[in-house]
Amino acid sequence: MAFALQSLWDVLVLLGVVLAVAPWFGRYVGKVYLERPVAGDSLLLPLERAVYRLLGTSPRRPMRAGEYMVAVLFVNGGTFAFLFLFFLLQHALPLDPTGAPGMPWDLAFHSAASFTTNTDFTHFVNESQLSLGSAMIAWQLALFLSAATGLSVAAAMIRGFVRKDGRLGNFYVDLTRSITRILLPVAVLGALVFVALGVPETLVAAVRAHPLTGGTQTIYLGPVASFQAISLLGTNGGGYYTANAASPLANPSSASLLLGTFLMLLVPFSTPFAFGTMVRRRAEAWPFVAVIVLIVAIAVGLFVAYQAAANPLLGGIPGLGPSTNGYPVGQETRWSLPETAFFQVVSVYNNVGANSMQIGAISPIAQLVLLFGMFTQATPGGDGTGFAMLLVFTVLAIYVGGLMVGRTPEYLGKKIGTSQVRWAALALILHPALILVPFSIAVVGGWVSVGGASIGVTAHTFSSVLYEFASESANNGSALSSNAFNDTTPYFNVVGGLVMLLGRFVPIYVMLRVGGYFAGEATLPQGPGTLNTATGTFAVYLALFVVVVTALVFLPVMALGPLAQIVGVG
Amino acid sequence: MAAPDPVEPGARVSVRRRPHTSVRRVLVDSVKHFGLRRQMRHPLMFCVFVLFLFVSLVTLYPRAFPDIAASYQAGYYVAVAIILFLTVWFANLAEAIAEAQGRAQAESLRAIRSGIRARQVLPDGALRWVPSDVLHVGDTVEVAPGEPIPMDGDVIEGVALIDESMMTGESEAVTRESGGDKTSVLGGTRVLQGTVRVRVSAARGESFLDRLIRLVEGLGREPTPSEIALSVLLAAFTVTLFVVVLSFVYLANFSGEVTVDLATIIALFVCLMPTTIGALLPAIGISGVNRVARANVIAKSGKAVEASGDLDVLILDKTGTITVGSRLAVQFVQAPDVPASELLEAALLSSTLDETPEGRSIVRLAARRSAPSRRLEPGSYKVMPFTAERRMSGLTLADGTEVFKGALSSIEAYGAPLPAPTRSAAAEAARKGMTPLAIAVNKRVVGLVILKDVVKPGIRDRIHELSTMGIRTIMCTGDNRLTAAAIAEESGVDEFVAEAKPESKLELIQREKSAGRLVAMTGDGTNDAPALARADVGLCMNSGTSAAKEAGNMVDLDNDPTKIIEVVSIGKQLLITRGALTTFSITNDVAKYFAIIPAIFLGGGAVALPGIALLNLLGFSNPYLAVLAALVFNALIIPLLIPLALAGVPFRPRSAIDLLRRNLVSYGLGGLVSAFVGIWLCYHFLAWLVREPAFATVARLVVRHLPLGGP
Repeated sequence: MAFALQSLWDVLVLLGVVLAVAPWFGRYVGKVYLERPVAGDSLLLPLERAVYRLLGTSPRRPMRAGEYMVAVLFVNGGTFAFLFLFFLLQHALPLDPTGAPGMPWDLAFHSAASFTTNTDFTHFVNESQLSLGSAMIAWQLALFLSAATGLSVAAAMIRGFVRKDGRLGNFYVDLTRSITRILLPVAVLGALVFVALGVPETLVAAVRAHPLTGGTQTIYLGPVASFQAISLLGTNGGGYYTANAASPLANPSSASLLLGTFLMLLVPFSTPFAFGTMVRRRAEAWPFVAVIVLIVAIAVGLFVAYQAAANPLLGGIPGLGPSTNGYPVGQETRWSLPETAFFQVVSVYNNVGANSMQIGAISPIAQLVLLFGMFTQATPGGDGTGFAMLLVFTVLAIYVGGLMVGRTPEYLGKKIGTSQVRWAALALILHPALILVPFSIAVVGGWVSVGGASIGVTAHTFSSVLYEFASESANNGSALSSNAFNDTTPYFNVVGGLVMLLGRFVPIYVMLRVGGYFAGEATLPQGPGTLNTATGTFAVYLALFVVVVTALVFLPVMALGPLAQIVGVG
Repeated sequence: MAAPDPVEPGARVSVRRRPHTSVRRVLVDSVKHFGLRRQMRHPLMFCVFVLFLFVSLVTLYPRAFPDIAASYQAGYYVAVAIILFLTVWFANLAEAIAEAQGRAQAESLRAIRSGIRARQVLPDGALRWVPSDVLHVGDTVEVAPGEPIPMDGDVIEGVALIDESMMTGESEAVTRESGGDKTSVLGGTRVLQGTVRVRVSAARGESFLDRLIRLVEGLGREPTPSEIALSVLLAAFTVTLFVVVLSFVYLANFSGEVTVDLATIIALFVCLMPTTIGALLPAIGISGVNRVARANVIAKSGKAVEASGDLDVLILDKTGTITVGSRLAVQFVQAPDVPASELLEAALLSSTLDETPEGRSIVRLAARRSAPSRRLEPGSYKVMPFTAERRMSGLTLADGTEVFKGALSSIEAYGAPLPAPTRSAAAEAARKGMTPLAIAVNKRVVGLVILKDVVKPGIRDRIHELSTMGIRTIMCTGDNRLTAAAIAEESGVDEFVAEAKPESKLELIQREKSAGRLVAMTGDGTNDAPALARADVGLCMNSGTSAAKEAGNMVDLDNDPTKIIEVVSIGKQLLITRGALTTFSITNDVAKYFAIIPAIFLGGGAVALPGIALLNLLGFSNPYLAVLAALVFNALIIPLLIPLALAGVPFRPRSAIDLLRRNLVSYGLGGLVSAFVGIWLCYHFLAWLVREPAFATVARLVVRHLPLGGP
């Protein structure tokens, strides 16, 4: 083993801390969306009321699914337009001390779509192509708004299980409270701790250093700590630096790495508990937590095991013998393998997409592990939307499983009707379609190219393109390898942007519609004849359902990509 | 002129009779189902059918498809086409068998009515023989003994004893008379005694017989909401897999690792499609209704059968459902200073001529206690029948001795005071929910006979089964609270409503429904009609009035109110069968991947990829046979599961989570394991087959003599 067992403890302790904090924080989040009294009301309520007055809305005006969607599109459309124009014109706007030029339209489109949709996939080099203003004002605004949108949508969908009037709550109220009560306070705290750990927080964009080796070196600075905190907490994943969380400035120590992991886990692991509070059945949170922990733990385990395993390719070279330290290329030496693997797997499984290592050279099985997280996009997935997607899976799983107990299926006392199944099924189709169709078109149209010429790509390039579209459709933002193919062409910018927008807002519409149908139904009483979902059996069933359905859909492409790269493992 | 005799005297045609299906008819139907209109109704199987046509076309004219020519292998393509054809045919077969079972039941019913003629009462009062076909709703017919009743209707004049055995299988004849609750008669039944006039209440094609025929034949069967939702899910799954498989073709060719053969990719798609459940879905629905019909219940829609699986609350009448319907004597209590023999003799005398079930039970009990029997000479006594005013009955013997039995208050009013110990014994019995009757001889109370409502044997177990399934039972009775509580205790119902008035049931249903529960009830009287109509599942007894039958959504031909429990099981079984086969279909797919994906890489002329070899769990070496094995298994599993689809998966009442666990293991894990084993067997069978010289010769001949092109 190429790592000290000691460092496994870090990971387990951190997981323990998250699992200890999540029930408490989740209950708080639940109360925030139930608008029950919580700490900070005296300070924040007047502020929020002022915001509602400004927006001309009121908590007493709950919306139907359609209205909620319109409000989501209105806010996010505004964000998108603002970002697009800002990036296009960043050279002419203030706060561009490094002289970054305005982005070409296709890159601006991709970037605006990427940040609006909580993806934060970047097709540019942050240090030279993004102005300080773009990062600090435009991007940072999107970091908050996109995460708040995801949380609001989840809250709205969850309300469907308790409301009976067909309404899901008020989007503007949810959005405001997501920021004032959840994202902003935790992000501020997180940023302060980051600063204490040595992460820069300054308006100085860059300093020039004269290293001992001679010459000059430009060290880019800026409001890194605050950016990093909301980027991870909001499951956005955009890095202030191109090297993302692997940069020593953004992530100076093991402590900051673990803090980053904690911030990524906090909201997705708390959401099931918020759900339990909101539907007034705390026990219902546990099957989801069990599914998430189980799948993430298996993923981390596999990732670590295959990264640490001997690389068979090196075994054939005379005199070298099998490599004993696995796949070290791209891995930060400052951290142990379990620490960095935990960060990396959590980052992909929580749809954050931040990197603590360069994953272009990881073992094929480790690639497969990461891809799988983006294929489910619900274990636990991004803030709000990940859990809502898990609820969509749950609806389908209960539909099939519920039949097996001899009743027309229901969840939390709400019947699962044809309408819910129809919409949930759309979400099932959409994700693979958004990944495979653009990929196939790119292949048929010859858009996959290196240096302008189409090439017969290797399995690795295949994996990289697959990873790119999977990451965009899942609104993840992680990228496998930036040099396997050129993804900064107009095809990948425009199509990638569209994939992110569709991969974000169509599922959101599905979640709201499904929630809306539930909200229009009466709650039925439950007894021994109804399926008790707060049980271990159900948790196991749900985990198997998610894994089997995902595997069935994605196994063929996994065979072509990562599986084809495996050479004589074992 | 005598009425034509459509049914052999004494012939009993019961729905219950196990239908025998004609093999030839089933085969013919299964071929007919290839028709386009039929195919369009099942998009999933239609899709397989289109793929079959496409592969056939390629096989016949490979030169028209130059892209495919590179990997074209005549024998392989012919094999794929044949298996695809079989897959669709097996699906047709499943539906045809289910329909044939229904049709066999329907035909035995139709025979009842063929050629019935009836005497219509014309407006001027004259009678005229007409074929029953021309009768309309509102027409009146006269039916004499020995004649069949032409159509469903109500008796408006007269009383008759009617043999309904051909419809219900119940050999005891029933009485029908004008006025009251027993007016309704069924078309096809036969009058044994008495002449009645019947007003036709159902138009031709609308009678129960017609409904039953249509339903068991599966014609005009609307898919139920849960069937639609499942179809939507299966369709979504199919579309997803289509995208996956289609993109696989482009991506595989692009990756340069493999070239994917057309037949192979079609085989992959068909194997992954949920063809198993898709093929069996119609048969499951039809057989559910058939199973209900075999229980001698006419469901007016498949939806009602499904709803019965969902029930939360069952409202049961005490009388006739939970108890045998009459109170029976269980005990004698002597008055002080009265010898036991005197009481027994008095009891026997008072009831000898009492033909009510209560009276007969007193005689039985007295005889068992060896009461001195005494022959009553005709004319030596005078019967004092029960009247509403006197509320007691008995007789006066020739020597002037008066023997009476009756309610305590009536006996006291008659002038026989109750001694104190007797009174307290009576109060004690009443407290236990029993009914004490006093027996008096010459205005002297000699003792009590205690009557009790007797719970039907086995009802406790059935109510326990219901509560295991999560269904709450509420007993409804006109009795006082004490009696009701005692019966509730003894039968194990969850709740009871005592001193119920006719409208109580409706109130009860409304209360439960407003709490969001699904409610079922049984009933027969006209005053049950509103409640039957309001209930989610209203099971009406066939002996009930037309109004009640119209209001309910199921009619029980056996007049057995406990039948509702059987119907609940059938409804649950129907849903479980659908869920179980869907799960089976999905887990099957996992195994098929492990057969086909390695085969694609092996057959595509790719360099050996160790990563792919990892997937080759079954260790197949011939890629063509591997694909064919998966495809053959995919087709064969359909006929293998037809019996399960028709009979429903075994169902025993259990808690929901227990059912989920068991069915997941049986059908989820079972689907996975059986597919691995099945595909392995198919592969080795095919491998053996192609090595057989005889088979090779035949195959060569076929390929040579078919107009096949290709390299």
